[in-house]
Amino acid sequence: MKKVNRRSFLKGGLVTGAAALAVGSAKKANASGSFGGYPDSMGVLVDMTKCIGCRTCEAACNKEQNLPKPDKPFDDKSVFEEHRHGGLPRRTTEKAYTVVNRYEIKGREHPLFRKFQCNHCQEPACLTSCFVNAYTKTPEGAVIYDETVCVGCRTCMVACPFYVPAYTFSSAINPVVKKCIMCYDTRLKFGRPPACVEACPSGVMVFGKRTDLISLAHKRIEDHPGEYNHHVYGEKDVGGTSWMYLTSEDAPFDEIGFDTHLGTEPIINYVKEFLAIVPMVLTIWPALFTGFHLLATRKDTIKNDEGEK
Amino acid sequence: MGMKKKKLIGFALMAALASPLGLVGVATSEVLELDSLKNLYGGVSFDHDMHIEMVSDNCSKCHHHTAGTEAEGPLCITCHANSPETDDPTCSGCHERDVFSAENMKKSWGTDLLHHRSKPSLKAAFHQNCLICHIDNDAPSGCSDCHTMTEVGEKFYDTGKHAPVPKADAHGHGGH
Amino acid sequence: MKTFAKQGFEPVDTLQKPGVAVPWTFAEKMLLGLSPGDYVKQLVRNPLNWFFALVYIIGVPVLLGRFYYGLGWATHGSYDYPWGLFLGWGLFCMVPLSASGFMLGTTVELFGRKDFKPLERLGLLNGLLGYLFAVVFLQVDLGQPWRLIYPMFVSLGPAAVLFLVAWHVATYLSVQVAELVPAASELMGWKAPKKMVKSIVLGLTVAGIILSTLHQGALGALFTYAPGKVHPLWFSAQFQWFHFFCSSIFAGLSMLIVVSTLAKRFLGWRCDANFTDNLDRITLGLAKGCALALITYLIIKMTAIAHDNEWGLLFTGWGQYYIFEICFGVVLPLMLYAKALRQKSARIARFAAIIAVLGILLNRLNTALIVFNYKLYQEIPHWREVVIVILVYSTYVIVYRACLCRLPILYTWKGESR
Repeated sequence: MKKVNRRSFLKGGLVTGAAALAVGSAKKANASGSFGGYPDSMGVLVDMTKCIGCRTCEAACNKEQNLPKPDKPFDDKSVFEEHRHGGLPRRTTEKAYTVVNRYEIKGREHPLFRKFQCNHCQEPACLTSCFVNAYTKTPEGAVIYDETVCVGCRTCMVACPFYVPAYTFSSAINPVVKKCIMCYDTRLKFGRPPACVEACPSGVMVFGKRTDLISLAHKRIEDHPGEYNHHVYGEKDVGGTSWMYLTSEDAPFDEIGFDTHLGTEPIINYVKEFLAIVPMVLTIWPALFTGFHLLATRKDTIKNDEGEK
Repeated sequence: MGMKKKKLIGFALMAALASPLGLVGVATSEVLELDSLKNLYGGVSFDHDMHIEMVSDNCSKCHHHTAGTEAEGPLCITCHANSPETDDPTCSGCHERDVFSAENMKKSWGTDLLHHRSKPSLKAAFHQNCLICHIDNDAPSGCSDCHTMTEVGEKFYDTGKHAPVPKADAHGHGGH
Repeated sequence: MKTFAKQGFEPVDTLQKPGVAVPWTFAEKMLLGLSPGDYVKQLVRNPLNWFFALVYIIGVPVLLGRFYYGLGWATHGSYDYPWGLFLGWGLFCMVPLSASGFMLGTTVELFGRKDFKPLERLGLLNGLLGYLFAVVFLQVDLGQPWRLIYPMFVSLGPAAVLFLVAWHVATYLSVQVAELVPAASELMGWKAPKKMVKSIVLGLTVAGIILSTLHQGALGALFTYAPGKVHPLWFSAQFQWFHFFCSSIFAGLSMLIVVSTLAKRFLGWRCDANFTDNLDRITLGLAKGCALALITYLIIKMTAIAHDNEWGLLFTGWGQYYIFEICFGVVLPLMLYAKALRQKSARIARFAAIIAVLGILLNRLNTALIVFNYKLYQEIPHWREVVIVILVYSTYVIVYRACLCRLPILYTWKGESR
């Protein structure tokens, strides 16, 4: 059976779209439907209360994705003291698709560790902002990227609400976007969890169907009263993500580097306000302005007609 | 006294079962070698007797409801208030090494026993169980306090012999 | 050049040499009718050319370095600020300032306001060159500029705003080239192309309006992809595109006033009476348009704040900065334009235009760079990035000047009516 996924759907729309000529805009209509996500897509639930900050996931990712040798060993805990520009903790880079950061929280005895990587949104901003369709949300849940068509405009980096995609700025010949692909090629495709999940010695991450994970997350919160923050980050945030997070009650999400003000709408919904006017302008403007022209120049026309008589 | 006997039987069983499953029990000395992270780390010697003393014979501290003592968690009790000792009370008797194998995924997500759904893998069970207690009791809690890294481990973590050459250029503020 | 003009020199403005029936050769036209020696002399005499020489000496190696060593060498290569000055200045500032093309086209061809005709071609050229160099800036910024045509032909992502920008800017560039074909035809003595364009000029103009409405708006809409990153006062899902579109109207017109002022001041020898005598009157006409666009813009800016109920944010630090931007970039030029119109003073209108242009620069740089990532940190562009921007912008000025000197933009071609 042929599956109609979002991508082929868009491609189909393209035929009509291309007909709408160079202006290439009527096709925006395709983006105005909403996409609830693939029913059987997989996800990962990250229970940050269990993370011990050993950085094994970082090492596993590095090996699985054949990333360059790190600047510091993966068992070196001094990276937790590192800060990038603006006093911010480490982020994903072209050399590291996943990063663990340590957060000291006031009134909490132990620090909390936060692992993060691409959250693999249900409706990814990177995908919807890409003008060469380099991104694909696979039915398995991964957001993957095709570097052979990337032009390097970096709009995906602007659009990503989580500051995930990195870019190989150092390459002059073939700079590309670098981000976690949920080990799609080597593992997810074959039903295996991403390398970081499997490598974790502490069982921080649970791999499973996204729908199952959501109920599991709520069950955990319910089963351990007073232990967990009641927000399952990623269940609804920015339209939902394949990776979701639980944190402890005394370490709220906004204190451990999560943006809790992103809302529940997927990013593309903010853009639809504009996309909606495109077909309108395309169809109404020509008639409207030609009409203006006829009105504005009617005196000349009358004069000309009289002249001809 | 019955306790002690039960435990001995348990270990005899363990010795028979464990080698292929993860726990190489040395029943006579009752010092076990935990090797759930083998390859990356050498085995960890685990003095079972000492830990039994530490928890004052309350096996449930580690073995939940499987060792015949009364389960601790309020949620566990709802089903396991009077559960007898199971056939295989060892850690690896329940906690698989590879919880994400197709077979185990099917088993864990297919179960009606909701609280068993996200059962940790063997190594996760060790770390979740041991580490919290170790931290609370000021017992060793750093990675290398318990583990000695193997050659493979050093390669994996890019450390020791495989450590990166430190760069003079500190152009590392990530955002850039 | 002024020296030659004082000596009685008249630059080429006919097909045939004055007095004799010999046509100018192409090379002679390019040298404006000067001998090569004299041409070089006037080049050397102009201090601006020395400045450009300096810019080139420093800038060209840096530009080559950007393509040899990669973007990370020329910019900070920041993951948090994927767009720097190349796009912040080159795309988001250049494009609104080039809106004059469609504005003047619309006024003259569509609304039949022939009284703006003396400035129409300058408006069109300002538009064409602005867009052309926006594309040059884009090419400097893209990771793989050789793949520029991918969104058109290789791998299409039609649901993206940038897809629309790419197609529109490409199409609009061709429209603008077509609109300027008559000027080039006159210089070259071609007849057919000019006639052809004249017959489709209405179509071109309407296409210009559509494309401009959409891509000026689309540049704004690009930021609606970053609701969590752009400061809420500068962000509005509903109005962002209209803010950008509406402000591009007074941006383009104000830029036209600025450019025409510069042309009259520095290229006076090239301007004919039709241009110089009408300039004050037309400037005031443009000022009226600017004032109307400014007041509309001010109202929708306020509407956006009311719509999202962000009044409280005005009292924060960023709010003060926002108020400064509005007062300096919108209210001040609006008042100056109003004053200019009341006193019928082209001089005040010109001053207002300069402020309005600065105001637009402030707004676009704010949105793209300064209030972007307001939750993180401020990024100061790398010096090499600044050098490359100055280099490309200088090239823009040089090309602009070269066109004005040769093409019948500021003067009327003799021998044939426009």
